[in-house]
Amino acid sequence: MSLSLPEPTPAAIGTAKIEWVRRRSPVLDGFVRERLGDGALDGVTIAVVVHLEAKTAFLAIILADAGADVVVAGSNPRTTRQDVVEALKARGMTVVAAADGDYESWNRELLAAADCGPTYIVDDGAELTLRMARHRPELFNRLKGVSEETTTGTARLQAMSAAGELPFPAMTANNARCKHLFDNVYGTGQTGIQAMLRLTNRQVAGTHLVVVGYGFVGRGTARYARALGAYTYVVETDPVRALEAHMDGHTVGSPADVLPTAEMVFTATGGVRAIGEEDLAFLRNDVVLANVGHSDLEIDIEALRRAATSIDHPREDVETFRLGDRDVHLLSSGALVNIAGGAGHPVEIMDLSFAVQAVGTHYLATHKLTPGVHVIPPELDNAIAAAKLRSLGISLTQTRANQKEDVKEMLDGGQRDE
Amino acid sequence: MGVSAMSDASSGDIVDDATLRIVWAARGMPVLSSIREALTASGALNGLRIGMGLVLEPKTANLALALQHAGAQVSLHCRGRLTTDGVARALEAAGLQVYAERAATHDRDIELARGFFQTRPDILLDDGAELIRMAHREYPDLVEDMLGAAEQTTSGVRALRAMHAQGALKLPVIAVGDSRIKYLFENVYGTGQSCVMALLDITNLQIAGRVVMVVGYGWVGQGVARHAAALGARVVVSEIDAVRALQALHDGHRVQSLSDAAPDAEIVFAATGVAGAVTRAHIEGMQDGVILCTAGGGAFELPMDYLNALGTATAVRPSVTEYSTPAGKTVLVIGQGDCLNCSDAEGNPIEVMDLTLSLQALVAERIAAEGRNRPPGVYPVGPQIESAVTEGRLRHEGATLETLTEELLAAMNSW
Repeated sequence: MSLSLPEPTPAAIGTAKIEWVRRRSPVLDGFVRERLGDGALDGVTIAVVVHLEAKTAFLAIILADAGADVVVAGSNPRTTRQDVVEALKARGMTVVAAADGDYESWNRELLAAADCGPTYIVDDGAELTLRMARHRPELFNRLKGVSEETTTGTARLQAMSAAGELPFPAMTANNARCKHLFDNVYGTGQTGIQAMLRLTNRQVAGTHLVVVGYGFVGRGTARYARALGAYTYVVETDPVRALEAHMDGHTVGSPADVLPTAEMVFTATGGVRAIGEEDLAFLRNDVVLANVGHSDLEIDIEALRRAATSIDHPREDVETFRLGDRDVHLLSSGALVNIAGGAGHPVEIMDLSFAVQAVGTHYLATHKLTPGVHVIPPELDNAIAAAKLRSLGISLTQTRANQKEDVKEMLDGGQRDE
Repeated sequence: MGVSAMSDASSGDIVDDATLRIVWAARGMPVLSSIREALTASGALNGLRIGMGLVLEPKTANLALALQHAGAQVSLHCRGRLTTDGVARALEAAGLQVYAERAATHDRDIELARGFFQTRPDILLDDGAELIRMAHREYPDLVEDMLGAAEQTTSGVRALRAMHAQGALKLPVIAVGDSRIKYLFENVYGTGQSCVMALLDITNLQIAGRVVMVVGYGWVGQGVARHAAALGARVVVSEIDAVRALQALHDGHRVQSLSDAAPDAEIVFAATGVAGAVTRAHIEGMQDGVILCTAGGGAFELPMDYLNALGTATAVRPSVTEYSTPAGKTVLVIGQGDCLNCSDAEGNPIEVMDLTLSLQALVAERIAAEGRNRPPGVYPVGPQIESAVTEGRLRHEGATLETLTEELLAAMNSW
C-alpha cells in the first residue's frame, strides 16, 4: 500500500494538525472571520497566551488574517507543542514559546510576549495580565483590554478589579454561555477521562472515581465517568453544588468518607491543594490522581514528595509515590491532564470557546467599555451558537408572532379568565 | 520484578520502557497473578511447549511470563501491526522465543509465523484462529502431535466451527471466545471503551452530538454503542439479525441498514468480525469526511482494497489516512482499518484482560491435563474454570456473594 506521507518536518506536521482543526471549526472559519473582517484589528498587536497547540494556533491565524500583529506564547510550560510552534513561525508569526520548557523558561517567554507591547491579550488563567501588572507596569498601563479564557483567570481579574488594579476593560470568555456550558462540561469532561484512560490503560466501568469540586469542569468529569460506568463520588464545600451533585446521582462526602475507596481521583476546584497533605492518609494503594483544573497545584505535589519514601516513573506521564505500603500514582505532574497528557479539548469545543475569545477581543477594539470585567453581550453569545447550529444543518423555530403578547398577558395575571 | 528496579526507563530504552509497562499491567491483573503461583506450585505446565498467537503487548506479556514462570517453554508470534516492539524485545530478553517484529511486512509476518511453528508447540493459544488455520494448512504433522488449542475471539471461534462442520478441524479447541467471562467483559467493556477512546485520542474530536454508526450488534458492537452513547453520541446500529436489532432499539439506539443510514453517519465502527461488512457501495453513499474504523475484528471488514486502489491515500495525521473517491468525497480511515484499539492504541484495558488471559492460562492447564483424549472439535471453557476466574476477581474487588441456602435451593427446585 502506498501512502504519500507529508514532509516529516515539524512545521509540516504542525501545519497538517492546524488544517485538521480548520476543517472542523466552522464557526471560527466562517462567522468569526466575517465579523473580524471590518478592519478594526488592522495593525493592532494582540498577544495570544493560551495552551500552544493546533487549536490555539488556528485562533492566532484567524486574528492575524483579520490584520492583527499576533504574538503567541503558551499558558503552561508543559503544554506547548513544538511542531505547532514551527508551523506558526513558518507562516511568519511571532512565537515566543518553545516546547519542553520549565517554569523559568515559561516566565521568560511571557515577559518576552509582554515586551512586544500588546494592545490586547487573549489570556488563559490571566497569566500574562498578572505578569505584566507585576513586572511591566508601563506596558501594562498601555493595554486596552484583555479577553480571558478560564474560570481561574476570571477570578484573578475580578480580584484585580476589586483592588482597583485593573485600569482597562477585560472580557471574560469563560462567563459566556458558549464557553463554560460546553468547554468546561463537555470538553474537559470528555478529554480528562480520555487522558486518564490513555495514560493508565485502565478500565473506567466499575471504578470508584472521586471528583473534587463540582463546578462546570467537575460536573462534566463526573457526568462522563458515571455515563461510562464508574461509581462516582463528589467532594464539595458549597452546599448548593453538593446538593446538585447528590441529585445528579453522585455520592457526596468528605475526603475522609470517599477517598479510602477511590481508584481514580480528579481535582477540579480551580484552586490549589484540593488534595492536600492531610488527605494523603486517606488514599488507598494504586490510586491514580489527576488534575483537570487550571492550576498545577491542585494536587499538593510537594506534600507527596515529602511523604514519599521513593518516587518512580513507571510509564510516560505517570509518577509513582511510595507512601508506606501504598503506591500513589500522579498523572502529568499534576498539570491539566487533558492538555499535558492528551491532545487537549476536542476541536469542536474550541471552535466555540475561541469564537468567544475572538469576538470578545474584537468587541474590546470596537466599543468603549469601562475598566472592569465584562462579558460579551448575549446577542453575540447567541450568534455564535446559531452559527454552530447552522453548520450542523439545524434550524431553530421562530418565536410565534403573538407569543410575546401571550406571555405578557399571562404575566399580567391572565385577564382573559376574568 | 519490582518497579523501583526499573526506574531508569526514562533513558529511552524501549526494552526498559516496555518492561515497566508490563510491570504496570501486572498491578491490575490480580487473578492471573494468583493463577501463576498456583500453576508454578502444581507443575502442571512443566516442560510443555506453549505457543501464543495473541496481540503482543504488556498484558499478554504477563500471560507469557506467567506460563514461563510455571515451567512452560513459551514461543510467541504476532502480526507486525499488532506488535509492540519494545514488549517483543523485552520478552526475548526474558528468555522467551519471540517471532514478531513491529515493522514486518505481510511476507515477513508469514516467514515469522513459520519460524514460530519450528518451536513445535504442544498447545496453541490463538487470537483470530490465524495460527490454528495456518498449522492445518502447512503443518498437518504438527497438528497430529499437538495436545490442543484455545481460541480467544468470537470471529476465530466462528471460523473454527465452520472448519469443523466441513471435517477440516483436526484438533480439540477450547472456545475461550465463547465464554461469557470473556465476551461479557472484554468485548463489551474492554473493546467498547478502548475503541471509542482510541478514536477520540487519535482524532481530537468531540463525540457528543455526533451520529456514530455501529455495524453489527454483537458483544463488541454493543460495547462500542454503549460507550459512544454514554459520551453523548447519537448511535445508529445496523444488524442482519432481527433479535439483535430489536435489542439495539431497546438499548435506545436507532436501527437502520447501513445503506439507509450512510448519508447521516459521521463515524462508522465496523464491529461484525465478518469480511466485507462495509462495501464500496456503502462508502459511495456516505458523507464527505466520514471516518471509518474497525472495532474488534480487522481491516477485512472495510473495503480497503477498493480504497487503496484509488491511489489517493494521504497521511493527514498520525494513524489517519485520507482517501479521495472519484466522486470527489474524502473518506478517513483510522489505523489502516485494523482493530484500532490494538493497532493504534494500547489495546483493551488491563482489568478485562486479567479475566480473559486468566481463562487462557487455566485452559492451557486443562489441555495439558487432558492430553490428546478429546476428538477434534470446538469445546466450551466450562463452569469450573469460569468460576475460578470470576470468584478470583470478585474476591479482589471485595464483593461478597449470596449463599445458596438449603431453603433457597428447595424453593428453586419446587413446582
